[in-house]
Amino acid sequence: MENVIELQGVSKSYALGKTIVPALDDVHVGFEAGEFTAIAGPSGSGKTTLLNIIGCLDKPDRGRVVVGSEDVTERTLPGLAELRAKQLGFIFQSFNLIEVLTAYENVEYPLLLRGISPVERRRRTEELLRRVGLYEKRKHRPAELSGGQRQRVAVARALVGRPSAVLADEPTANLDSRTSEEVLGLMQELNAERGTTFIFSTHDARIIARARRVLHLVDGHLNGKGD
Amino acid sequence: MAYLKIAYRNLFRNRRRTAITASVIVFGCTALVIAGGFIESMFDGLREATISMGLGHLQIYNEKFLDQDEERPLELGLDDWERIAAGVSKIEHVRQITPRIDFTGLLSNGEKSVVFLGTGVNPQVERDMGFQVAIREGRDLSPETDGAPEVLLATGLAKSLNVHLGDSLTLLTTTADGALNGIDVTVCGIVTTGFAEYDARALTVTVDSAGALLETSKVSKLVVLLDKTENTDQAFAALQGLLTSRNWPLRLKKWIELATFYKQVVTWFTAIFAFLGIIIFVLVVLSSSNTMLMAVMERVREIGTLMAFGTARTKVIWIYVLEGALLGTLGGLLGLGVAWLGILVINAANMVMPAPPGSTEGFPIVVYKVPAIFVSTLLLMTVTLTISSVVPAVKASRLKIVDALNHS
Repeated sequence: MENVIELQGVSKSYALGKTIVPALDDVHVGFEAGEFTAIAGPSGSGKTTLLNIIGCLDKPDRGRVVVGSEDVTERTLPGLAELRAKQLGFIFQSFNLIEVLTAYENVEYPLLLRGISPVERRRRTEELLRRVGLYEKRKHRPAELSGGQRQRVAVARALVGRPSAVLADEPTANLDSRTSEEVLGLMQELNAERGTTFIFSTHDARIIARARRVLHLVDGHLNGKGD
Repeated sequence: MAYLKIAYRNLFRNRRRTAITASVIVFGCTALVIAGGFIESMFDGLREATISMGLGHLQIYNEKFLDQDEERPLELGLDDWERIAAGVSKIEHVRQITPRIDFTGLLSNGEKSVVFLGTGVNPQVERDMGFQVAIREGRDLSPETDGAPEVLLATGLAKSLNVHLGDSLTLLTTTADGALNGIDVTVCGIVTTGFAEYDARALTVTVDSAGALLETSKVSKLVVLLDKTENTDQAFAALQGLLTSRNWPLRLKKWIELATFYKQVVTWFTAIFAFLGIIIFVLVVLSSSNTMLMAVMERVREIGTLMAFGTARTKVIWIYVLEGALLGTLGGLLGLGVAWLGILVINAANMVMPAPPGSTEGFPIVVYKVPAIFVSTLLLMTVTLTISSVVPAVKASRLKIVDALNHS
């Protein structure tokens, strides 16, 4: 099966004062459609950096990032923004909902960026909100929702644009264990229903256990390439 | 629309900070609108006072009068002025015309003589024209008197000669033929011109008395009053056409060309108003830039999220610029409302300003509600806040997404 996203020989390092700290070193990995993959590793292993490069939020120092069949490494910043708007969805550890928008408006936002018609926007937004069980709370702002509800809004927001892949950076780190289970279960269901690729970073063993594929990242090296 | 919604709601995110910035805008608006309205009312009052103090809207002279010095009094006066006045009176917007004789000479009480600047007027016509005489004692000139001709003395001149109502004085001058002549006059009133220097020298007699003293039927000029000051240019053009068609060797002057003091005041106060505007602009820019910068710093992660989802950097700039423009517009509207109320209060208070330098009279404080000032102030505030938000907005748009997302 063709990879939705593929990294070829990707390296990335950061300057920490005068010291260069390697975050990723010669990473080769591909993600097929419909995958539910965990990137596991201790803090500082490079999980977030890897996820940022997969999500085209950051550029590698070396190597290539291929989305679909296109090498997007040399794309300009506006070009990458357009790519993210059309093909990728994001879920963040701290939910990162727009505080001044309601749950409905937060979910609808990616569709506005894609120029979807108002009727279609409404249909898709309401469908996703119903699916994550928050239709009744659609007029609530993030501050009026619990942590779990916020993350479910974030899941709906990530999926509403029907992206090729959803990237989640420690999506359950700020949730209690019961809510984490609920959110993870929801992500699994949506992955199964829609065939959307989910790639998420975590160091939580319970979550790793639910992933169909686990990649172990240690000191910038991808060890566990297997499923 | 989505960005407008975000920008609008962001205004209420930190209400206290928005309120502080809005209060600066309200203060700026109120100051500008009230100062502008007050200055406009001063200009208007000064303009109409200048006209009604005897300048009129237009003045008609012998064509050489303004360019050449006269060797003898009224050498360059208007000879056939009644015929000219009859022709001019038919022009549209012309309400009334009156002759004037300007002359100088010595005023004596028998013991002391002082130089005077005299004006011969037609008191009845000038009263009809609404020309004001600020009488301090006595009364205005009578058009005709049985006894000695009457004179109105300015306060300073009366004081220097220690004369009172009913006292007899002698006017001495050179006639139009160059001979010395004098007439006795009776003081019927003490007046003020509003200007201390002029009050020390000015006197007024009837145009007939001045003619008799100068032994001439000529007058120095004709003063034309129009129905409205706004019609000055139109009447000027029509009158100019009349002079050309009749081939009269006359020259026209608009009131604005003769009102030197008025023009100086307008220039001076316009500069003050512009300076006030600049100060308020700087004040609002400094205050609001800080506010917008803090807004950006508070929302770094949110900006990162917007950009992660594919929001273009220009759109991020747009959100903050819109926020600034909205704050300027809403704060400006609030400021205009406060200014409106302030104007009502000030105008109802019937306050009086002290006499300005060189003047002997105070004047009432009246503030006009000038639509142009309201609109331009609102525009200024909107533009100012928009400009203030550009730098923070660009700063926000230049954030690296990964850094912004990790910002705590």
